Amino acid sequence: MSNKLIDLIDISKSYGMQTVLDELNLYIRENEFLTLLGPSGCGKTTTLRILGGFETPDKGRVIFDGQDITNLPPNKRQLNTVFQKYALFTHMNIADNIAFGLKIKNKSKQYIYDKIKYALKLVNLDGFENRMPDSLSGGQQQRIAIARAIVNEPKVLLLDEPLGALDLKLRQDMQYELIRLKNELGITFLYVTHDQEEALTMSDTIVVMNQGYIQQIGTPEKIYNEPENAFVADFIGESNIISATMVQDRLVKILGVNFPCVDEGFGQNKPVDVVIRPEDIDLLKPGQGSIDGVVTHMIFKGVHYEMEVMANNYEWLVHSTDMFPVGTEVSIHVDPFDIQIMKKPESEDEEAVNIEE
Amino acid sequence: MIRKYLQKIYLTLIFILLYAPIVTLVVLSFNQSKTRAKWGGFTLKWYKELFQNEQIMSAFYTTLIIAFISAAVATLIGTAAAIAIQGMKQKWKTMYMGLTNIPMMNAEIVMGVSLMLLFIAFRMTLGFGTILIAHITFNIPYVILSVAPKLKQTNRYTYEAALDLGASPLKAFFKVVFPDIVPGVFSGFMMAFTMSLDDFVITHFTKGPGIDTLSTKIYTEVRKGIKPEIYALSTIMFVTVLVLLLLVNYSPKEEEEVPVRKKVRRPSKIKKVLIQRVIPVVICIVFIGGGFYYAKEGGVMGGEELIVYNWGEYIDPDVLTMFEEETGIHVVYEEFETNEILYPKVSSGAIAYDVVCPSDYMIQRMIENDLLSEINFDNIPNLKNIGKQYLEQSRQFDPENKYSVPYCWGTVGILYNKTMVDEPVDSWSILWNPKYKDNILMQDSVRDAFGATLKYLGYSLNSTDLDELNEAKNLLIEQKPLVQAYVIDQVRDKMIGNEAALGVIYSGEAIYTQKENPNLEYVIPKEGSNIWIDSWVIPKNAEHKENAEKFINFLCRPDIALKNFEYITYSTPNEAARELIEDESIRNSEIAFPDLSRYDNLETFQYLGTEADQVYGDLWNKVKSS
Repeated sequence: MSNKLIDLIDISKSYGMQTVLDELNLYIRENEFLTLLGPSGCGKTTTLRILGGFETPDKGRVIFDGQDITNLPPNKRQLNTVFQKYALFTHMNIADNIAFGLKIKNKSKQYIYDKIKYALKLVNLDGFENRMPDSLSGGQQQRIAIARAIVNEPKVLLLDEPLGALDLKLRQDMQYELIRLKNELGITFLYVTHDQEEALTMSDTIVVMNQGYIQQIGTPEKIYNEPENAFVADFIGESNIISATMVQDRLVKILGVNFPCVDEGFGQNKPVDVVIRPEDIDLLKPGQGSIDGVVTHMIFKGVHYEMEVMANNYEWLVHSTDMFPVGTEVSIHVDPFDIQIMKKPESEDEEAVNIEE
Repeated sequence: MIRKYLQKIYLTLIFILLYAPIVTLVVLSFNQSKTRAKWGGFTLKWYKELFQNEQIMSAFYTTLIIAFISAAVATLIGTAAAIAIQGMKQKWKTMYMGLTNIPMMNAEIVMGVSLMLLFIAFRMTLGFGTILIAHITFNIPYVILSVAPKLKQTNRYTYEAALDLGASPLKAFFKVVFPDIVPGVFSGFMMAFTMSLDDFVITHFTKGPGIDTLSTKIYTEVRKGIKPEIYALSTIMFVTVLVLLLLVNYSPKEEEEVPVRKKVRRPSKIKKVLIQRVIPVVICIVFIGGGFYYAKEGGVMGGEELIVYNWGEYIDPDVLTMFEEETGIHVVYEEFETNEILYPKVSSGAIAYDVVCPSDYMIQRMIENDLLSEINFDNIPNLKNIGKQYLEQSRQFDPENKYSVPYCWGTVGILYNKTMVDEPVDSWSILWNPKYKDNILMQDSVRDAFGATLKYLGYSLNSTDLDELNEAKNLLIEQKPLVQAYVIDQVRDKMIGNEAALGVIYSGEAIYTQKENPNLEYVIPKEGSNIWIDSWVIPKNAEHKENAEKFINFLCRPDIALKNFEYITYSTPNEAARELIEDESIRNSEIAFPDLSRYDNLETFQYLGTEADQVYGDLWNKVKSS
C-alpha cells in the first residue's frame, strides 16, 4: 500500500494512577481502512481521541502528513470524527447540521448547498434537509453524522464505535454502506470498535489492543487464522486454547497426545499454547481420530451445531454442520495446518501484557 | 363514576387550598375598611394611594431592580461556574457541587449575619450595593443548580463535534452547547429573580438606612398593622406574574404540528415571538424603568443629613418632609420591627444612626451598655411641652433624664366587648373567669403575659423572684384552657370582628378599635399594669448629633406632635399638643390620656439581664407546652 499518513510515536497516556496507553506505536497508511479492536478500556478510544485532538498524550508525538500535530487543537486538524452517539446538533435541522463545518470555513452559499445535496445523496438520505434530528431513526442520524463529517473533505475520517447504538440488522447494512462510502470517497478510515465481526468485515488492517498495548496488527484473515497470542485468539472468534508442549519441530503434544503440526522453531519440549478453532475440529467415529471423547452439550445455531466434547479431561468446543446428539462417542481430528502454536508468556510481566481476563 | 367525582372534589380542594389566601388578599385590596375583620364596601382608593405612596413604590422598585440585576449577574457567574464544574474530574466536581450547595442549605440568618460582618469588616457602607452583592451571592447556587443538570444532559460529544468541524471553543459553546442549556439558564434566572424578590432575612441584615425592599418594608409595618396599599400592590404583582406566565406558556395552535416547510410558518412564528417574548420583555422594561425613576426620586442628595431609625409606621411622612424643608437637612429614614432587632444593629456599629426610638427597657439596656450619648437639652427648648409626669415615669429606665425624650406612650389593659361581658371589668381576675372560656385573647409575648399575671398577683412586673415567677407560671397554665388564642396584632382584628369577649391589648390599639367597633371598652386593671414609653435617644456613634437634637426638638413642637398623634394614634406625652386636639372626646379620653396620678402601680418594663430573660423564656415555654 501507499505511504504513511499518520504516525503515532511512543504515545503514553494515563488518567491518575491508571495507565491507558503505554508507549504505543502505530502508523496508518493512506486510503487504509484500519480498525482498532479490543475490549472496553483497552485504550482504543483514547488513541482515537488523541488523534482527534480531544486528548493530549502525556508522552509521544502524533505525526500527520509529515507534520507534528501533537498539540494542535481539534478545530485545526484536517480530520473529522463520527461520534458514537451521533452528536448531532438537535436544535438545527439536517441541512444546518451538515453545513456547520462549511459555514465556519466561510464557504459560499452555492458551494454549501451543493455539498449538502451531494452528501445527502451519498448517505442515501436525499430530501432530508429540513428535517430535525429528533425525527430521524438511529441509522439515519448516524448517516447524517457521517455526511456532516465528510462534507469537510477530511483526509482521515475517525469513527468511534459509530454502529454501537444500532440494532443488529441495521448494523450489518451500515457495514456495507461504510465500505461503499470508503471506496467512493477514497479517504482513510480509522475505525474503533469492540465488535470483532465489524472489524473482520470492513477492515484492511486490524489492530487488536488490550490494556493499552497492541497485541497484534494484521489483515483480518491473518488475525483470525494466526492469532499471535491467547488473548487475540480468544477475542477474535471462539477457540480452544490449550496448554501444550512442543515436542520438536512440527510435533506438538496436546493433552498427552502427539499432534502433527506445521510450526517450527519453538525448540524442543518447550511449553506452548495451541489454538484450535472450533470449526477446524472434525468429529470422526471412535478410534478413527487422535483423541476419543463424549458429546456433553449440543445447541443448534442455525448455520451449524455447537457442541462440547469431553476428551482427555478437556471440554472441546466444536462447530459442525453434522449433528452428534449428547452422549455420542466420537473421536477428535485436527488437520496439522489448523493447529496454531503460540509462545507461552515467560515472565509475569509479559503475561500481564499479553493475557488479560 | 364515584371515583371521577372524588377526583374532581380532590382537585377542587387543592385549588382552594392554593388560591384561597390570594383570593382573600385580592378581596381585601378592594375593602373600604382598613381592618381585615370588616367589609366596608368596594373601593379603589388603596390602589390610588399606592401609587401616591412614594415609600412603598420606591421599596417596590428597589426590590425589582435588585432582583433583576442580581439575577442577571448571578446567571452569568452561575452559568460560567456550572460549565467549569462540569468540566472537572469527578472528585472535584462532587466537592465543588457540595460547596456551592452549602450556602443554599445554610440557614438564611447565618448567611445574612456573616455577609453583614464581612461588609463591616471591609468597611463597606451598608446600602443598595451590599444588598445587591448579598443577593448575587445567594443566587449563584440556584443558577448552578438549575444549569448543571442541563449541562449533564447535553451530549458532551456535540461540543467536541463542533470543535471537530472547525469551530473555536468559544464558537462551539455558543453555537452548540448554549442552545441546549438555555432552558436551564432561563429557569435559573427566574429562580434567582424570585428568590431575590422573596428574600427578607439576608436583605434585612445587609441593608443600610434609607433603603428598603418590599419584604423589609412590609415587615416594618407589622407593629402598626399592614397597610391596605400593600394588599393592592401584592394583587398587582400577582396579576402581573399570572399574565406573564400565561403569555410565556401560550402557543398558537398551528405550532403543535411538526414544522415541515420553513416559509409557511413564518407569520405564526412572528406572532409567537411577539406574544412569548416581546410583550413580557416590554412589561419587564416598564417595571424596571419605573424603578429607576422612583429610585432617582428617592435618591440621596449631598449636604447635611440625618439618619433616623424608627418603628415602622411610627411617624407622619409629612413631618419628615416638613423637617427637610425647614432645616435643609436630608433625612435618611429606616424602620425596625422590634427592640430586639434594633439592639444588635445599633450595638454592632454597622450603621451610625443619629437618632433612634427604642422602648423603655431597651433604652435602659443601651444606657447600661454605654451605647447612648447624653442629649444636650439646651438644643431642645421644646422639651417644656412634654408633661412632667412622663419624664418622671422615664426615670424608671433613664434615672437622670439625661439620654431620652419621650415620643409615644401607652398602657397595657383589657379590651372587652360590652355586649358580651355584662359585669364591670376592673381587675385582671376576669381573665381567669371560666364564664369566658374560649373568649379570651392573650398577648403572645413573654413579658406581656407574665406582666399581667404578676400584676394580678400583686407583684412587680419586673420580678425576678423565682417563687413569684413560678406562681405566675402556674396561674398562666391554669388559665390556658380558657384562652381562645395567644396572638399579637390579631387581638385588634378579632375584637373588632366580635370574635372574642376579652383581650389584653395596648392602649394605642384600643383607641383605634373603639372607632371601628363602639361596643369595645378599654380598662387599666386596678392591680396596675405596664406603662410603656418609646423615647428618642442618640447613639454614641452618631455622626450628626446636632441634627439629631434639631430633629428631636422639631418633634416636640406642639403642631408637629399633634400631626404625629393623629397619624399614629398612640398617646403623646406632649401636653401642648394635647391641648390642640380638636375632638374633645379624644382630648379627654381616659384611654389615650389616663390620669397617671390616679395610678401608683404602673410600671415600665425593665431590662432584666440575660439570666432573667432565660428564666422567663423557660417558664413561658412551659406554659405554652403544658
